Amino acid sequence: MDSKTSRREFLSAGLMLPIAGASSGLGFFSPSGDSASGPAGSPVKLNYKTLGRTGLKVTTVGFGCMITSDPSVIERAADIGINYFDTARGYQHGNNERMVGAALGARRNQIVLATKSGAQSKDALLSDLDTSLRELNTDYIDIWHLHGKGSPADIRDDMIEAQQLAKKQGKIRFAGVSTHAGQQQLLPWLAQKGVFDVVLTAYNFSMDASMEQAIATAAKAGMGVVAMKVMAGGYRRVRPDDPLYKKLQQPGALLAALKWVTDKPNVATTIPSMTDMDQLDENLKAMAHPFSAGDEKLLAAHLERIRPLYCRMCGQCDGACQKGLPVADMLRWLTYADGYGQFALGRDKFLQLSPELAAVRCGDCAGCTVKCPHGVQVPNRMARAQALFA
Amino acid sequence: MRTLGWLLAILLAAGAARAQDYLDCHFAPGWEQSGEARHYAADNLYDYKDGAAEGYLIFGFLQMRGITCKSGAETLDIDVSEMSDADSAYGIFAANLDPSLPVARMGMGGQVQRQSASFAKGRYYVEIVATGVSPDSDRSALLRTFAARMLEHIEGRDSPPQALDWFVKENLLSIRLVPESVLGMRQLKRGYVAKYKQGQAFLVVEASPESAAEVLKSLRERLDGASPAQVGDEAFQANAPYLDGICIFRKGRYLGGYANLPEPRDAVSQAAKLAAGIP
Repeated sequence: MDSKTSRREFLSAGLMLPIAGASSGLGFFSPSGDSASGPAGSPVKLNYKTLGRTGLKVTTVGFGCMITSDPSVIERAADIGINYFDTARGYQHGNNERMVGAALGARRNQIVLATKSGAQSKDALLSDLDTSLRELNTDYIDIWHLHGKGSPADIRDDMIEAQQLAKKQGKIRFAGVSTHAGQQQLLPWLAQKGVFDVVLTAYNFSMDASMEQAIATAAKAGMGVVAMKVMAGGYRRVRPDDPLYKKLQQPGALLAALKWVTDKPNVATTIPSMTDMDQLDENLKAMAHPFSAGDEKLLAAHLERIRPLYCRMCGQCDGACQKGLPVADMLRWLTYADGYGQFALGRDKFLQLSPELAAVRCGDCAGCTVKCPHGVQVPNRMARAQALFA
Repeated sequence: MRTLGWLLAILLAAGAARAQDYLDCHFAPGWEQSGEARHYAADNLYDYKDGAAEGYLIFGFLQMRGITCKSGAETLDIDVSEMSDADSAYGIFAANLDPSLPVARMGMGGQVQRQSASFAKGRYYVEIVATGVSPDSDRSALLRTFAARMLEHIEGRDSPPQALDWFVKENLLSIRLVPESVLGMRQLKRGYVAKYKQGQAFLVVEASPESAAEVLKSLRERLDGASPAQVGDEAFQANAPYLDGICIFRKGRYLGGYANLPEPRDAVSQAAKLAAGIP
C-alpha cells in the first residue's frame, strides 16, 4: 500500500466518528470564522494564533508530549497539522525528547518545537541544551524554556545569559519560561524584564480571576502565552458512580475545559497531554467550535463538584479542629478511596490514627471549628471518612 | 473484638514504621538528615514535581516519602514513590532509565550513574540524586551504598515482571510498560511494548478471555482491510498507517502482537513467536 495514500486514508478514517457526530446534530468540525485550512489533504480545519512577538503562527491546540508513549500519536498529530509540540529535557530522564525527536524528525521544518531545562546554572543549562539538540535530532529549538520557575528569584542572571548566548549561537530561536505557580508575581516580572519571548503557564477554568490579569500583562508586553494543565487535573477522573459521570461522558463534554482556554484571546496555544488517537481526535474538535454556554454549564458543574470535595492542601486548617483531628490528612485519605479507588490505602491511613482520634465522630460536635477558605465541606467530608473507614 | 481492633492498629502502626526504615541518612557514615521528611500524595505531588508529576500519576502513583541528607556541601535527595503495584513500580523505573546504560541487579532492576541512581523493588520506585558536587564528580559508590542499605529495608518482589520473559530476546532493544494506550490505541489500556531492531511487539492482559475477545473485535473493526491470521486463539493481520504491517492475537486473556514490519505476514510470524512464549 502506498504510504502517503495510506496515511491520508487513515486520517480520514480516524475522523469519521466526529464527522458522523456532525450528522447526528453534534456539529463537530463545522467551519469556523477563525479557522484556516490545515495541510493539503487534511480534513481538519485548524485555528491559528500568533505566538506573541515570535510571530510564529501556531495552532490553538498544540501537543504536550510528556506522557505520550507511542510516537505514532505525535506523527499523526503533525500530519494532521498540529504544529506546536512541547517536551522537556527532564521528562522520563530524557527518553521523552528522544521519542519526540524520532517522531518529528522528518517533519521538523513544519512544526514549532519547544523544550525546557531545569538546570540551575549557565553551564548546566547550555550542556542540557546541547543534549536536547542531540536527542531531538535537530540543530535548533524554536522555544527553549527555563523550566518550572515559581518566582522572580528563581530566575538568575546567568540563566538569562545562557538563553541569550544560545540565541546568538543559533541554537534556539526564542527564550521562554515555564511556570506552574506564583504566576501573579512572576508574569508581570517577566513582562517587565523584556528578555523572554514566551511563557508557558498552568492555566485552566478552576483558577481565579487574577490569573487572567497576569496573563494579560504578559501578552500586552508581547510575550507569547502557552497554556498547560488546561484540563485541570482530575477532570478526567470522574468515576462511573458520580452523578456527573454520564453528563461528562457526553460527546464533547470533556472538551469544555480545553475550549475554555483556547477561547481566551491572550492565550496563543495549549499543550494538552495526549496518549492515543482518540484523545487526539477529541482535542482537535476544540478548534472547530468556540466555547459555548453549554460548555460553561459543564465547567460550572465540575467546579461545584470539586469545591466541596477536594482539599487544596493550603494548610489553613492545621490545628483548627477542636478535637485535634488532622483534617487535611483525613481529607486526603478520603480522596484515596473516593477519588482514586484506593479504599484499602485510605483505611490503612485512618487506622494509624491514635485510638482517641479514630473514635471521634464529627456528628457529635455541636458545630465545626474548621472553616475551609476554599469551600470544602469539612464536617460532611470528615463524617464520610469516619463512616467509611472506622 | 475491641482487643482485636487494638491489635490490628498496633500491627498496622508497626508496619508503617518499618516501611519508613528505608529512609535513613545514616546508611553511610558522615551523613545527617537535613530538614523534615517529605510526604506527597497523588493530589499534591505537583507541589514537589511540578508538571513532571503527570509522569508519576500515569503509573499509578500513590504516595512519595523522601528525605534530604547532607554531608558538608554535598546533598543527597532520596525519594521513594509507592506505586499501585510492583508492575507499575517497574514500569516507571523502565520509563526513566537510560537505555544506553546497563541495568543493575538491584531489586527488580536498577541503574546507577555518576550522580544519580534509581531502582524498583516491590511497589516502590526509588530515586537518589547527588547535588552540590562538581559536574564531573563520580558519586556512584556512595549511591550504591545507600541503595544497598535501602534494598535491605524495602519489602516486595525483587524479580522483574514475569511477562518480560515471554518476549523473544533476539534483536530486542528495550521493553517498557506503557501505562495507557499501547500503540496509541485506547482499547489497549496498559501493557508491555518491546522494541526490536525492526518493529515492536506488545502484550496486554485483560480481565478475562471474554473481555480480551471484545477488545480484539473492536481493534479489528478499527483497522481497515484486516484479515484473519492463525495465531493464538484468534488473530488478524492488517496494514495500517503508522503501524505498518501488524498482527494482533488473543491467547486466553492476553492480547499480543507485532507491528511496524513491512508486511503483515512478517508481523504474523513474529507474533506467533510471542504467542508461543505465553503460558
